[in-house]
Amino acid sequence: MWKHNRASGNHACINRCLPGNTSKTQTGWKRFLFLCRKDCRMLAAGKFFLLAVGSLILYTLFINLGYIQYMNAQLYNVYLYDPRGTQQEVSAEIHPVASLEELYTALSLDTNGVGIDASSGTPSIVFYFGSEKSDNHRADYALSLLHQENEYSAQIAGINTRESKQRKEMCCELLFIEIVAVGFLGIASVLFKEKQMGVIRVHAVMPFNKGLFIMAKLTVFLLADLIFAVLLTALNIGFPDAVAILPAVLVQTAILSLIMALTGFGCIMMLKDFRQFSLAYLIIVIFASAPVFLSANTSVKMAWIDRHPFYHVYMGLKNACFGTPVTNPVYYICCVCGIVILFLLVQTAFRREMGKEG
Amino acid sequence: MIEVKNLNFSYGKDKPALQGLNFSVGDGEIFGFLGPNGSGKSTTQKILTGILKGHGGYVALFGQDISTVHTQDFFERIGVLFEFPYLYANLSAVDNLKYFSSFYPAKQRRDIGEILEKLEFKTDFMKKPVASYSKGMRQRVSMARALISSPKLLFLDEPTSGLDPAGAVVFRKIIEEERRKGTTVFLTTHNMLDADLLCDRVAFITNGNIAALDTPKRLKEQNSNHRVRIEYWYQNRREEETIEIPALDSGIPFPYDEIISIHTEEPTLEDMFIQYTGRGLS
Repeated sequence: MWKHNRASGNHACINRCLPGNTSKTQTGWKRFLFLCRKDCRMLAAGKFFLLAVGSLILYTLFINLGYIQYMNAQLYNVYLYDPRGTQQEVSAEIHPVASLEELYTALSLDTNGVGIDASSGTPSIVFYFGSEKSDNHRADYALSLLHQENEYSAQIAGINTRESKQRKEMCCELLFIEIVAVGFLGIASVLFKEKQMGVIRVHAVMPFNKGLFIMAKLTVFLLADLIFAVLLTALNIGFPDAVAILPAVLVQTAILSLIMALTGFGCIMMLKDFRQFSLAYLIIVIFASAPVFLSANTSVKMAWIDRHPFYHVYMGLKNACFGTPVTNPVYYICCVCGIVILFLLVQTAFRREMGKEG
Repeated sequence: MIEVKNLNFSYGKDKPALQGLNFSVGDGEIFGFLGPNGSGKSTTQKILTGILKGHGGYVALFGQDISTVHTQDFFERIGVLFEFPYLYANLSAVDNLKYFSSFYPAKQRRDIGEILEKLEFKTDFMKKPVASYSKGMRQRVSMARALISSPKLLFLDEPTSGLDPAGAVVFRKIIEEERRKGTTVFLTTHNMLDADLLCDRVAFITNGNIAALDTPKRLKEQNSNHRVRIEYWYQNRREEETIEIPALDSGIPFPYDEIISIHTEEPTLEDMFIQYTGRGLS
C-alpha cells in the first residue's frame, strides 16, 4: 500500500490509498465503520476471537462427548427379591436376586442402588440412607419399575426428547456463561489496553460524535456474541431445531450481550486498574450468576430471586432455547430501559475518562 | 483566533482551577502558556479543546462562542498534541496515523510519509508496532497525528518533551513552518527555551491566574537592570566590570587592552516566571 524510497527520500502518498478519500467529508457511517474496524483489530490482537473459537470447540466437545453421555447413564440400579413371584409386570431394568443375602450384598457394593423385598407379597424398599429428597425419588423410581404403563403412564408435554432437552439446557447455560463471564473478560482486556495507552483521550478531540466510540464497541461485541450464539446452537442442538428457536435466542442473546458489554465498559471507565476490575468481575460472577444458576437449575430456592434482573434474562434465554420465548412486553420494556440507562451512565463515565489528566 | 474573558472553572465546590483568565490569541500567532504543575494550564487547554465543559466566562474560538463551537467542524480545524504520546501500541506508526486521519475529510489530510519524513522519523520503524519505539519516536508520531489534518489551530502540550536536542530543533522548525503557513499555535510548556525561541507572546499562569502576559523580549526588558558586564584584559590581568548601559554612550568608560566579552545582565524567562509567580517551573 505504501512504499518509501529510502535512497531518494521520495514517498508515495499514503492517504491516497485510504478508504473514503473520494468523498469530500466523512459521513457518520464511515467514521463508525473506521471505529468498528479498529475495534476488530484490537480484538484480534487481544486474541478475543481465538478465545471465542476455543470456547466454542470446548463447549461442543463437552456437550457431545461429556454431558449427553453422562446424562444417559442409568440413575439407580434396582434389585428385586421376590421368591414367590408376586410381581408380574416388572421392568427389564430390574435386577432379580435369589436371596435376601444376595440383595444386601448387592446394595453394599452399589450404595446408590435400591432394593425391593417382595418376599411378603407386598414390596418394601431397602436402601442406604442418602438425603430425604433423593431417597423419595429413589423409592418412587424403584416402585415405578414394578408397574408398567397401565398405572403410571404420564402425559408428555412438548416435543422435546430427553436428549434434545439436555442439549438445549446445556446450550443455554454455556451461552450465558460465555457472554456473562468469558465475553465480559474479553471486553475488559481490550478496553483496559485502550485506557492504559491513553488513546481514549485522543478520541475526545477527533471530529465525530463521541457516542459513536461506545456504539462501535457495542456493535462489535454484539456481532461476536450473536455469531457465537448461532454457531453454538446450530452445532449442539442441530440445524433444523436451531432454525426454529434462533430468532428468539438471538433476541435474548442481544439483550444479555448489550447489558454485559455496557456493564464492562462502565466498570473499566470507573475502575483504576485490572486488579480492581478483577474484584468487580468476581462480584458479578458470584452475586449475579451463581444465584441465577442455583435457582434456575437446582432445587435451591431463593425467595428474592424474582427480583434479580439476571434471573429474568437467564430465564428469557432458557425459554427461548425451549421454543417458548417471553411474550410479556413488560420484560422487553424493562430490558430496553435498562440498556438505555446503562448507555447514559457509560457515556458519562466515558466523558469523564476523556477529561482526565495523563 | 482565541478570545478568553473572565474564564472561571472549578473541579469541585472548593477547588477553583481557573479564576478569571483574560487573554486573546491572534491568527497565526504562537502563544506560550507557561506555568508550574497544577497551575491551570492543562485545564485551560481542555476547555479550549472542548474536553472540559461547565466553565464560566466568555471563550470564543474561530470567532464563535465556545459553547456552540465544539462541533465536528470545530474538531476538523484543530490539532492537539497531548502531554504524553497516546498511541495504539500494537499498531505501527503508519497504521496509527491512517486510523486517526481517517476521521478527517480527505481534502485536508496530509500525506503520512511526508510528515514522518519531516519529523525525521526512522523509516525502518514505520511498520513496526509503536510498543517497540523510544519516547522520542512516539513523540514524533504524536506530533504527526496533530499535524495530519492540516489544522488551523494547533494545541501543543510539551512538544519537545522526551526529545534529544536535535529532535527538539526539528520540532521547533516544524512549529515555525506552521506559523509561516498561518496556523495559530497554543503552546503549553515548561521549557523556557522553546517559549523564548518560538512564542510571539507568553502568559505566566499560576494558581488559576495570569500573572504576566507579553512578548518574551519585553518581559525580559521590563525587568532588566539595564547593566552590562564587561570582561577585558588590562596590563596582562583579566578584569571584569559591570556598568549602566547609558554609560556606554560615549564608549567604554575605563581603560583596557582587549575586550573579551560584553553581556547584558538581562533576566531569563525563567527568572521572570519566578519573579511573577513566586514559584519555579517544575
